[in-house]
Amino acid sequence: MKKTKLGEFEELVLLTVAALQQDAYGVEIKRELEERLKETLSVGSIQSALKRMEEKGFLTSAFGEATLKRGGKRKRIYYTTSLAHKVLREMKDIRAGLWSAMPKLSHQLKVTFN
Amino acid sequence: MNQPNQPSPPTWPLKLLRFFVKKEYAEEIEGDMEEIFYDNLEKYTVRKVRRIYAWETVKLLRPVLIKKLMVFQYFNQFNLVGNYFKTSSRSLMKNPMSSFINVFGLSMAVGICVLWYGFATWVNDTDQFHENKNEVYLVTFFINREGKEQQFGTAPAPLGEMLQQDYPQIKKICRINDSPVVIKYNENVFHERLRFVEPEFLQLFTFPLKWGSPSSLNDLNSIVLSEEMSIKYFGEDNPLGKTIKVIFSESNSKEFAVSGVAKKFPESRSVDFDFLIHFDNQKIATPIYDGTDWRSYVNATLIQVENPNDISLIQQGMSKYKNLQNEKHSEQAISNFGFVSLKELYRKSMDIRDGICPPNYEGNTKAVIILGVLTLFLMALACFNYINIAIVTAAKRLKEIGVRKVIGATRSKVITQFLSENIFVTFFALLFGLAIGMFIFIPGFEQINGFSMEFTLAHQNLWLFLVAVLFITGMISGLYPALYISRFEVVNILKGSSKFGTQNPMNKILLGFQLILACILVTCAVMFTQNTDYVAKRNWGYNQNDALYAEVHSRQAYEQLYAAMAQNPNVTAIAGSANHIGKNYGTTVVKLPPNKEYEVERLGVDANYFATMGITLVKGRSFNLHPEADKHSVIVNEEFLKNLRSHAIAQGQIEWEEPIGQQIKIDSMRYEVIGVVKNFHSYSFDSKILPLIFTVANKADYHFLTLRVRSGSEPEAYAALQTHWNKLFPEIPFQGSYQEDIWGNFFVRIQNHGRFWQAIAFITILIAGLGLYGLVTLNITGRTKEFSIRKVLGAQTSHIATGILRQYFILFAGSFLIGVPVSYSLVKFLFDIAYDYHVPMNYLSITLAVSMLIFVLLFVVLTQVNKVAKASPVNGLKVE
Repeated sequence: MKKTKLGEFEELVLLTVAALQQDAYGVEIKRELEERLKETLSVGSIQSALKRMEEKGFLTSAFGEATLKRGGKRKRIYYTTSLAHKVLREMKDIRAGLWSAMPKLSHQLKVTFN
Repeated sequence: MNQPNQPSPPTWPLKLLRFFVKKEYAEEIEGDMEEIFYDNLEKYTVRKVRRIYAWETVKLLRPVLIKKLMVFQYFNQFNLVGNYFKTSSRSLMKNPMSSFINVFGLSMAVGICVLWYGFATWVNDTDQFHENKNEVYLVTFFINREGKEQQFGTAPAPLGEMLQQDYPQIKKICRINDSPVVIKYNENVFHERLRFVEPEFLQLFTFPLKWGSPSSLNDLNSIVLSEEMSIKYFGEDNPLGKTIKVIFSESNSKEFAVSGVAKKFPESRSVDFDFLIHFDNQKIATPIYDGTDWRSYVNATLIQVENPNDISLIQQGMSKYKNLQNEKHSEQAISNFGFVSLKELYRKSMDIRDGICPPNYEGNTKAVIILGVLTLFLMALACFNYINIAIVTAAKRLKEIGVRKVIGATRSKVITQFLSENIFVTFFALLFGLAIGMFIFIPGFEQINGFSMEFTLAHQNLWLFLVAVLFITGMISGLYPALYISRFEVVNILKGSSKFGTQNPMNKILLGFQLILACILVTCAVMFTQNTDYVAKRNWGYNQNDALYAEVHSRQAYEQLYAAMAQNPNVTAIAGSANHIGKNYGTTVVKLPPNKEYEVERLGVDANYFATMGITLVKGRSFNLHPEADKHSVIVNEEFLKNLRSHAIAQGQIEWEEPIGQQIKIDSMRYEVIGVVKNFHSYSFDSKILPLIFTVANKADYHFLTLRVRSGSEPEAYAALQTHWNKLFPEIPFQGSYQEDIWGNFFVRIQNHGRFWQAIAFITILIAGLGLYGLVTLNITGRTKEFSIRKVLGAQTSHIATGILRQYFILFAGSFLIGVPVSYSLVKFLFDIAYDYHVPMNYLSITLAVSMLIFVLLFVVLTQVNKVAKASPVNGLKVE
């Protein structure tokens, strides 16, 4: 997977964007992630992750509709790029490979500890 | 959602957000924030939601999200700044001469700055170390005299105790009485200054103790010493528990046990002590002392209040005591009482008469101002050097600037570069200057003036001051060259068609300015040196030579000493007196009909005093030898007469045409004026001659024995006087001296002023001379080619020399034309504020100063001309 430089938190945000599809804008991403991680996140951390990934080419974005609740300001909807899908899949494969290699490893580990 | 009752997000985080966050993200993030805000409103209280909003906003300030501000742009070009630093140090190394002149001159100026700072803080910090300075007040009173309110630092003896009883706000009081005593320890006897104080003294004045405890003063038999006194009597040992005998008078003495020794007093103090004993010992010293008598005064009464605001309340109630006092002591009616806080005591010491705090604040403040002006002058000299040299050397740096501009440096960047270069130089100068100030100027100044200012690098504001000095000097010296150099057009620079340096009028203006400053300072130095000579020769108004005096403690002592000395063949006249010129005066109020009052100095003397001291009678007669004959006669000085007459004339009266036979009143007694004496200096030339009267002293009050001896026999007579004394009064140390030594170190001080100014003049000439040297050298090296070509074509050395000299001649002449009158008036002004009696302003001093400067200038220019003359034209033409 070469130098994709996707951090753990970034990966989570990226996955959330992919999952939310048309609803993927700042507040919604934050809400979704907070629910899943069961912890509160700051707007700053989500936003900076989004902007970084946009720079790296994992995300693109476009303005969505404005709501009254937002004081008439438009949302920015994020979309995953094909690069993102490729990298996410790679990550998943690497993880899966590692998981499948685990029984052997865990067995050996046990031996060492006993 | 914009209903009026709907809470909205706080505004300041929004402003913060709009200011910092990148424009392209602003709308989205602002929207998100607002959406979360309204979501949260459903869950939490408004306050909490607002808090969350603010905190979230702060957390938004991340590098990815915020704008690239100016500051960051600047840091992005860190390389450029690094480059400035490199080029700065290179150009400094490349021109060692001008760098040296700049750094040297600036260091000298910074050194003086540091000295000034040290001295100014020394003056300003006086007494500020006392912990209770804000709550402790000195009780003072006012007396209206000749329409002027005069403040006195003493207080009626019973006042303190009454105040404490009447006002619960007063926490502590402390009365102080000073008394000269003789202290005896083993076989050593010394005259000392003793303070009777309430035990609270050490709580009001928080002098820390080295040994013992402050509460020990509660014991009537304890005595507390200053460190200096402890060392004088006991060396470095701990003297606690040792007994010393205090001899108050011939009949009264008491033994005290040392119970405390103060730590070394801070140098910036105005109040201190040598020996402290409990106030109630006053009864033992003077058995008739009555602390409840409103007619008796203590040297000081201090109170400590709970809260400084209480003092106005107490002040309002003071009229009660005023009435009480005026009832009991009606001859000296006071107009009011007042309070001066310990914090301000020193600052107000000039206005308080007979206070415990010596009134030298004004003198010191004057010195601070004079030193401050000097600092500015030297700073200006050094800065002008920098500017001059920078302008002349600009030619060498033009290519560099041109290239910088071509690569895209804006004018402001070039200015920044030159200013930072300059700050860099100034920084070096600052370090050197600090060292020079600390290790040369301050110790020198302290030695000359005989005090220590306890200068430390840890002083609270010193570093702030130095940073300010760094930037201010950096800016002053660097701004003009930076503006000047950055002004050139790139194209002209690179074409080589820009003309610079030599033709800038600024150079000449600044050089002229330097010469004027130098002229002023050198004139000062010459005048101060002249003054040393002048005061040594100035007439004291009486004959101070071949006169001796001794202090006697009683009438019997006087008679015994008189009898012993009268037989001495060297003695030509002996006089007894209650007061003595230069030593001790009474003050008294003279009343003139109808109801005018004058305060005058009063000397109680005998008939022989005038002959003994060589005081000249200009009118009338001296006192009759029979002591009872002139009991109601006075002899006045010319100043007295002059004041009286000018006062009378101002009122359109002609009075005292003939002073002899006039009547005056002192303490409701009538006196007749029988003589007028020539003015003489009562104290040193530091103080003005004041109106003064002589009266016949009561024999019981004799405190001085004065001798006139045959010329040349002074040392023998003095030795005889001491021998007789020691034989007669082995218990009491001899106190007396030559009359000519009575001003103590006045002459040394005047001489030291001279030395100080000589040092200043030396530094001035050095800085200005070096600056001129740098300027001339650069100017001449810049014209090497021209001179070489001229020489090749057959020009005489003298032609070239006159050419160079002419260039400076007009400048020098012009500067001195302005400098001489400016120096004259400024130096005169300085002398008038510094001394009451000084050498009259004269043109000799200015002539001397100007010739000195011309000599230095010619020397500097001619050495350079000489170099040109000797140089072979071939070498000059080979340049570049």
